[in-house]
Amino acid sequence: MNKPYLKSAAILGLLVMGLVLGSCGESRSPFAGTYRSVEPFAGKNYIDLDLKEDGKGTWTLAGKTVEFTWVVNDGRIWIYTKSGAILIVTPGNGGKMLSADMSAEWHPGCPPGSCVTFRRVPEGG
Amino acid sequence: MTEGQGQSSERKVDGLILHELGQEVVVPAGTRIVTQGETPEFFYIINSGRVKVFRETADGIRTDLTELATGAYFGEVALVTGQPRTASVETMEESNLIKVSKEEFDHLLDHNPQLARHIIHQLSQWLITGDRRLESQVVHQVKLRQISWFDYFLMIGLSIVLALVVNLYNDNKIPLIQDWGAKVAIPEITLQQALEAYQQNKAIVVDARKSAFYNQQHIKGATNLPLVLFDLMFPLFQFTVAQTEGAQDKTIIVYGGSFSRRFDLELARHLKQKGMDKVAVLSDYGGWLTTFPLEGQKPKAAPTMPLGIPGYIEWLPVGIFALILIPAVRRSPYLSMACRLILGFIFISFALSKIMRPAVFALNVVDYGMMPSWGVNLWALVLPWAELVVGLFLILGIRTRAAATLIGAMNIIFIVGLVNAIFNHLPINCGCVGEVGEPVNWWKVTKNTGMLVMCAQVFLYDRFFVLDRGGFTLRERKI
Repeated sequence: MNKPYLKSAAILGLLVMGLVLGSCGESRSPFAGTYRSVEPFAGKNYIDLDLKEDGKGTWTLAGKTVEFTWVVNDGRIWIYTKSGAILIVTPGNGGKMLSADMSAEWHPGCPPGSCVTFRRVPEGG
Repeated sequence: MTEGQGQSSERKVDGLILHELGQEVVVPAGTRIVTQGETPEFFYIINSGRVKVFRETADGIRTDLTELATGAYFGEVALVTGQPRTASVETMEESNLIKVSKEEFDHLLDHNPQLARHIIHQLSQWLITGDRRLESQVVHQVKLRQISWFDYFLMIGLSIVLALVVNLYNDNKIPLIQDWGAKVAIPEITLQQALEAYQQNKAIVVDARKSAFYNQQHIKGATNLPLVLFDLMFPLFQFTVAQTEGAQDKTIIVYGGSFSRRFDLELARHLKQKGMDKVAVLSDYGGWLTTFPLEGQKPKAAPTMPLGIPGYIEWLPVGIFALILIPAVRRSPYLSMACRLILGFIFISFALSKIMRPAVFALNVVDYGMMPSWGVNLWALVLPWAELVVGLFLILGIRTRAAATLIGAMNIIFIVGLVNAIFNHLPINCGCVGEVGEPVNWWKVTKNTGMLVMCAQVFLYDRFFVLDRGGFTLRERKI
C-alpha cells in the first residue's frame, strides 16, 4: 500500500473514531434511582420509573412492567424499549425531578398535555 | 536541459573541454537562475550542486519536471529554438555553474558536432517523453470524467449488502417488509360500518399516530395510543378499556391515516397479540377525514431538536451558493474538494445516527406519508448505509462523479419530501439524525438545495485528491 492510501486510511480512521467517541453517552450515576410520577398519568394511574446504574430500567404502569435501557446524552436521559419506543427525559432540580415527553416526537420540549413529571423517591422511602 | 556524464574537475560535457568557455558563478541555495517565459541569454553547466527544473501555470499550479546535478546542463532549449524559456530553474543547494553566453553556445554547436548530436538526441527524447506524459494525463482525465453503471451498481450494491448483513446481527433489527407473511390477520371495517358503530356507541376509536398528528386533527372522542410508545402506554390503555362500560361488546377501531398503513395495521396487530380480539382497521385509511366528526387544534410547528455539529455544517452549503456565483471560484478544484469533504462529513454523521436503530428511522419515513408499506423498512435499512458508503467514497475521492450524482438524487428526494410536508402542514421534524431533527421549513429546503448545488460542483469540477482510476492526483505533481 502506498503513502496516499495510508494517509487516506489514517484520516478516515480518525474521522470514524471521532464520530464514534462523539456519540458515547455520559455518566448515569447522578440520575440512577427510583422515581414516581407526581400525578396519576391521564388522571388514572401513577407511573413508577426505576433507573439502574447499569443502564437498565423499568417502567411500571397499572401493574404492568416494561423493561428498557437508558443512556445520558447532552444532560438528558434517553430511554429505549425493546420494541422501539424512545422517551426523552429532562432532569431538573439537580436530578430530583424528571420531565418525560410523551408526545412520541422525541424532543425535550415536554408540551403541556404530553408531559409527565416524576419525583425521585428517597432511598428506603 | 540534460544530465551529462562528465566530472566537474575536468569541466567536461561528453568529452568537450570547457575551460576556455563561459564564466564560473557560485549561486546560493533557493536562487532562481532561469525564469519561465523570459528571453534566453545563457546556457548553464553544473560544475557542482543541484538544481530543480519546474513549470508553473498562471493560476499557480506547479509541475516539477526534473532535478539536475553535477555534470548536467540546462538552458539549451530556448537558445536552440530562439523561443522564451520553457521552464524555470532554481538551485536546491549552493551550486557552482558555468554560464555560457548565446554567442559562445552557438560557437560550440558550430564547432562541436558531438555536442550538437547530443542536444538533438536529448530534445528528441524530450518530445517522446512529453508525448507519453500528455497521453497519460489525457487518459487519466478522461477516466476521471467517465461515469459508468458499474459505479452505481458498486455503491448501491455495497449499501444493500451491508444493510442486510448488519440488520441480521442488529439487536434492533427490523423485517425487510413489515408484516410480510404476518400470522395475525387484521379484519377491515368499511367506513359506513365504522361510522354506524361509532354513532351507536359500539366502538372504541383509537388513533395510532404520533401525538402531534393527533393534536392537529382526529376523530372526535378518539383515544391516542401512539404506536411509537405502545409498550409504555398499553397498560394504561388496557386499564382505560377495562373501565369502559360494555367494553367487551365494543369493537376497537384503529386508524392511522398514513399511505403506508404502518401505524394502524401495526398497532392493531399489537393489540391482538395482547389478547384484544375485537380489533379492526378502516378499509379506507384516509376516509375518516371526510366521514367522521373531527376535532383538533390549529396546525403548529413540530417540536424539534438541534442536530449539533452536523447541523452547523449543514449551513455551509448555503454559504457556498455565493461562492459558486463567481466563475473563477466555481472552477476551482479546491472548492470542489471542500464540497466533497463537507458533503461526505454531513452524510456520514447523519448515517451513523440512523444505522443502528432502523425502526426509529422507519417511523420517520412513515411520517412523510410518501412511501408504500412494503418500501418503508427497505428504505429505512438501505438509505443510511447508502449515505455512509457514498459519504466515504466522496471523502476518499473514489468514483466521485457517481457518488455526487447519488447524493444529489438523495437530496432531490429529501427536497420533494420536505416540500410535500410543508404544503400538507405535516407536524413532523426532518428526522435527519436518528430520532432528532430540525424543523421542516423553507430554510431546511434551502440547505438541501445548497447541498444539491455542491453535488453539481463536485460532478463538474472535482479533480484533486482523487483516489481513483489512474492513480492519486495531488496538488503538486512530480513527473
